[in-house]
Amino acid sequence: MGATASQLDKGMLSEYQELTFLTKQEILLAHKRFSELVPKEEIDRINCRIPMSLILTLPELKSNPFNERICKVFSTSDIKDGSLSFDDFLDLLSAFSDSATLEIKSHYAFRIFDFDDDGTLGRHDLEKLVNCLTGGTDDTNLTPDEMRQLIDNILEESDIDKDGTVNLSEFQHVISRSPDFVSSFKIVL
Amino acid sequence: MTSYSSRGFFNAAYHDSETLEMDRRSGTKPPHTNPYAREEPVRWGGRLGGRDEAAWGATDGGLQDESRRGRDHITTGAGAPPFPHQPYHNRFQADNRYNQRPQARLPSLVSDNMTMRLRGIAMRRMSMFPHASPADVDLTENAIREEMENDEQNLMKELVSMSTLEQTRAIRELTMSFEAKKRIRNKVLAFRSVKKSHEFTWFAELSENTSLFFRRCGYTMRSARQALELWHGIMKEIGGKFGSSVLTYFMFLKWLLLFNIFSFVVNFSFITVPLLVYDPNITSSVSFRGLELLTGAGYFTHTVMYYGAYSNETLKHGVEYNLQLAYFFTIAVYMVLCGIALIFSMASSFKKNFVLVDPASTSAWQLLCSWDFSVTSEKTVTQRKNNLRVQLKESLSEKAQQELLTVPEKLKHFGIHFCSWLVSTALVVGCAASIFFLCQYEGKLFSQWGPGAASLQQEAETLLVPFMVSLMNLVIPLFFSLFNKLEHYSNNRSQIYTLVVRNVFLRMSILGVLCYYWMNEVSLRSPSQCWESMVGQALYRLVIVDFFFQMLGSFFGEFLRNVIGTKLHRRLGPPEFDVARNVLDLIYAQTLAWIGIYFSPLLPSIQILKFFILFYLKKVSLTQNCQPPRRTGRAAQMQTIFIFLLFFPFFVGAISIVGYTSWSLNPSQNCGPFRGLNQAFSVVEIWIEGLHILPGSGWAVWIYKNIIRSEIFYFLITLIILGVTYVFYQLIQGRKELIGLLKQRIINEGKDKSFLLDKIQNLQSSRPKKDTRQSKDGRSSHQPSLGGHSDAVRQALLARQQAEQEEATYSDGVSVPADISTSSALMQAMLARQRAERETEDLYQRVEDPPSSFTALSLAMEARQRAEGEMLQDNSREGDFYENPTTASSAVSQAIQARLRAEEEASASSAMMQVMKARQQAEQEAGMQWTDVQLQNPAVSSSSAVAQAMQARLRAEEELPASSVMMQVMQARQQAEQEAGMEWAHVQPQNPAAAGSSALIQAMLARQQAQNEYDDGY
Repeated sequence: MGATASQLDKGMLSEYQELTFLTKQEILLAHKRFSELVPKEEIDRINCRIPMSLILTLPELKSNPFNERICKVFSTSDIKDGSLSFDDFLDLLSAFSDSATLEIKSHYAFRIFDFDDDGTLGRHDLEKLVNCLTGGTDDTNLTPDEMRQLIDNILEESDIDKDGTVNLSEFQHVISRSPDFVSSFKIVL
Repeated sequence: MTSYSSRGFFNAAYHDSETLEMDRRSGTKPPHTNPYAREEPVRWGGRLGGRDEAAWGATDGGLQDESRRGRDHITTGAGAPPFPHQPYHNRFQADNRYNQRPQARLPSLVSDNMTMRLRGIAMRRMSMFPHASPADVDLTENAIREEMENDEQNLMKELVSMSTLEQTRAIRELTMSFEAKKRIRNKVLAFRSVKKSHEFTWFAELSENTSLFFRRCGYTMRSARQALELWHGIMKEIGGKFGSSVLTYFMFLKWLLLFNIFSFVVNFSFITVPLLVYDPNITSSVSFRGLELLTGAGYFTHTVMYYGAYSNETLKHGVEYNLQLAYFFTIAVYMVLCGIALIFSMASSFKKNFVLVDPASTSAWQLLCSWDFSVTSEKTVTQRKNNLRVQLKESLSEKAQQELLTVPEKLKHFGIHFCSWLVSTALVVGCAASIFFLCQYEGKLFSQWGPGAASLQQEAETLLVPFMVSLMNLVIPLFFSLFNKLEHYSNNRSQIYTLVVRNVFLRMSILGVLCYYWMNEVSLRSPSQCWESMVGQALYRLVIVDFFFQMLGSFFGEFLRNVIGTKLHRRLGPPEFDVARNVLDLIYAQTLAWIGIYFSPLLPSIQILKFFILFYLKKVSLTQNCQPPRRTGRAAQMQTIFIFLLFFPFFVGAISIVGYTSWSLNPSQNCGPFRGLNQAFSVVEIWIEGLHILPGSGWAVWIYKNIIRSEIFYFLITLIILGVTYVFYQLIQGRKELIGLLKQRIINEGKDKSFLLDKIQNLQSSRPKKDTRQSKDGRSSHQPSLGGHSDAVRQALLARQQAEQEEATYSDGVSVPADISTSSALMQAMLARQRAERETEDLYQRVEDPPSSFTALSLAMEARQRAEGEMLQDNSREGDFYENPTTASSAVSQAIQARLRAEEEASASSAMMQVMKARQQAEQEAGMQWTDVQLQNPAVSSSSAVAQAMQARLRAEEELPASSVMMQVMQARQQAEQEAGMEWAHVQPQNPAAAGSSALIQAMLARQQAQNEYDDGY
């Protein structure tokens, strides 16, 4: 329903409150920020979607190395273009909010890191993940040899059933041992 | 992994095991396609049915376990019975079953079940990605849709049976998109309203409305709290630029600020306001000179700032208000509340951050997982990426060259550590001693002044001690950092901890010496002076001077360092914000405020001001001068450590000093609320005595006499607490052991799974293209494996297949199908097989009942043995035929000829093969029987394994007494015996540990272990 017409009505607001981890102010703020992004000609349309390129102009997401992945994961668009409706946007903020549970956060983190969307983190995903986090230019990247060793280490550490990939429960197991995750997996609007 | 890998996807046991795989079927990996999908569409349905059944079975198992664990009174009938074995079960029936579940289930079970199901849904959601290979898209999509609908139905049932609050939470915590959540919520609400119309009562409506009201209240409270949150924007900015570890400092500062605001509000409203109401004309005899702001003396001496100005009278404006009691109780309650708040935040922080942390925390995952999503500045992001890369490389090189130090090197490191500890301890002791002597000197100086107003210079001299203290606090840590650079540490964390410990040590000793001086010298000095006010003034000076030094610290430590780093020595670069040092400064400042609360009740106001200014100062200094920290991670742990430090030496120290003062020291006789008393605590005694007169207050007196003043009570309490602590300690130890076992089990299950998959794959590829019988076998060996936890059964069946293959080769060896005796033997074997199959079917139906599965299994084994025995008998009967040619028909004679020929031909090789087979079989059975019978009687199994081997040997001997064969058989026998013995020794100790788990899993584990050993080449 995600009406972006100027105001959120009260019933919708309480529904949003009930279904997300956000407070009233946060929802209102999110709505405001979202409405600012909506193109003028679509402002009256119900359930309009904002294309990914516009979403990525938000300063909170602009320089995040995972910004495109985040959009794709939270987008419910049929054509997988990463465009977000207001509902999706709230979903995103809810998962990245302070009060979201570890389970939710780790679930979405897993999906964000799962670049090829195949449900497990394979070597390819891990390589992309490390590349995403260590720099863009070629000369600053890790050498192939280092990368291989690093991924070997990662798999050795976390791949419990030795199938060469890290699945969700293995990932959650890893997460449970790094306490910084919850405080750092956070985006505040 | 070929077609079988996809089977795991539909096998619930496979999913619900800890090592579950997400989606073995998805199409991006070519081997995951399922060739059977097109051949036998029905089987998908069959599998689905099997899966559900397995899920039920698993729930039942869990329930039974739970109840077996000492809650036998709870009916195990709570779990629904398994569905009949049919492809598509009737959903209506399923619903009914669900509703029949008794409401009084164990709550933990409910939640476990719930999360399992939710997770299941999430899994399947994941599997919906449209990458499945086109061949089986239709079927799998149908199957998945079917399954998802089922799951959603079940989820709905669970949600509906919850209370409203739980329901909201559960829906909110679903890992689905917003729309899916909304749909589920609407469905649940609709269901609920339907139900309500059936059973409408005013009570239900009332409770509904109340819960709704409270929920709304909760939301409003949360919103309000957030609206009141201080510095939200600044915090976000700092977090965005410098990451969460620097943010820790500011959060801590804010937290302390809240403490102080609370303390100020309490003190001001309960102590100061009544006094001002009672006597608004407290004026100082000394005029204001300006220096008071620094020294706290002079003009301030006789104001409400300090202890001395407070009255000991009882106000009588309508209601009585005893100022003495108010003073005592306000401070006591504040301290107790502070303590509770600290303990709670400490405990929750420990719970979150320390429970499962491994000591080796520099692993790559931790670095990757602690990426800060809140960072928004482009510059910081690149910098963080660089830092992360450096750290990853470091972790790689550390892993690569786990450097082993030689003895001289070790000695050198040890020597350096020892020296630096010695020097730093000496520094600390020197500082403490010099402060003490300085204090004594100053005391003498003061006593010469005499009464009356001190001159400006004299007043300025009082600043000497705080100045020295703050200077030491500023300078000595620099030395410590210098030592820290010289020392060699194996990891970064111990380096930081050493630094923190030394700094804490320094501050503790300085504060300790000061307190000792105040308690022992100032308090005894002169009865005419108000010593509490003097201590209060000293604390005031310390707080103020400390503030200036902190400002200086950030000027020198950050601004100058930045100028040097960016202008003079470019190599140094701008400084990093030293979180540890700054937080320690905060802790020290807060300790001063806590100690001072008794001597100067309004000291928190100064503290509030100080922290407020400090916040902005540090923020500006940070954004102007500093760069984000090089090292990421550990922020959460550091925060925990800081809270712990704040509590343990500092808060506990402060509260004990305040307690000592009010319990044991003589208050001043001429000033303050406790004038004329021996101790401050006597206030309570007097009050209680006064209570005697009032009727109806007997209980208060009784409590005071028998609890507060009674040693026995505290003695008992201490004993009880010690006992409880011990019990909890033991519990923790037990849990640790359990965690170890569970970890082991996860590993074992992982191995188990991969082993089974390999095994199946091998079997599949090695078996020739099968006839109808064998494909039927294939079916019958598949389906039990779908039964969730019947892997052992499958294993047995596999072995049986093998035996049948053997049987086949045996009959091939005879090579004459018309032979009556052989065919009869074959028929008998067939019959036995059928019987065994029937038995396995029975077993399949009783699969949720572990003991029966065992009996079924053993029955199957027995049947097999019988079949073998019969085969042997047939052999001998064949011999009879041979001896008695009169009964031989043409067919028989043909058969005998063929047999003879076969025997002649097969002289060496076939016998060899047979013996080899027998050996394998014996080995396998030794392993298998061990696990099967293990629970009943391990001795039997080992002996039976041996017997089996003996049998094999005998058979081999009967057939062909070749010496080489003999030797092999002997070897086999030995091996079997060895294995039996070894397993006996190995598995036995684990038996009691796994008592709580289901019998089947244990059997699995044991089997696994046997197999491992077998693989390892025992």
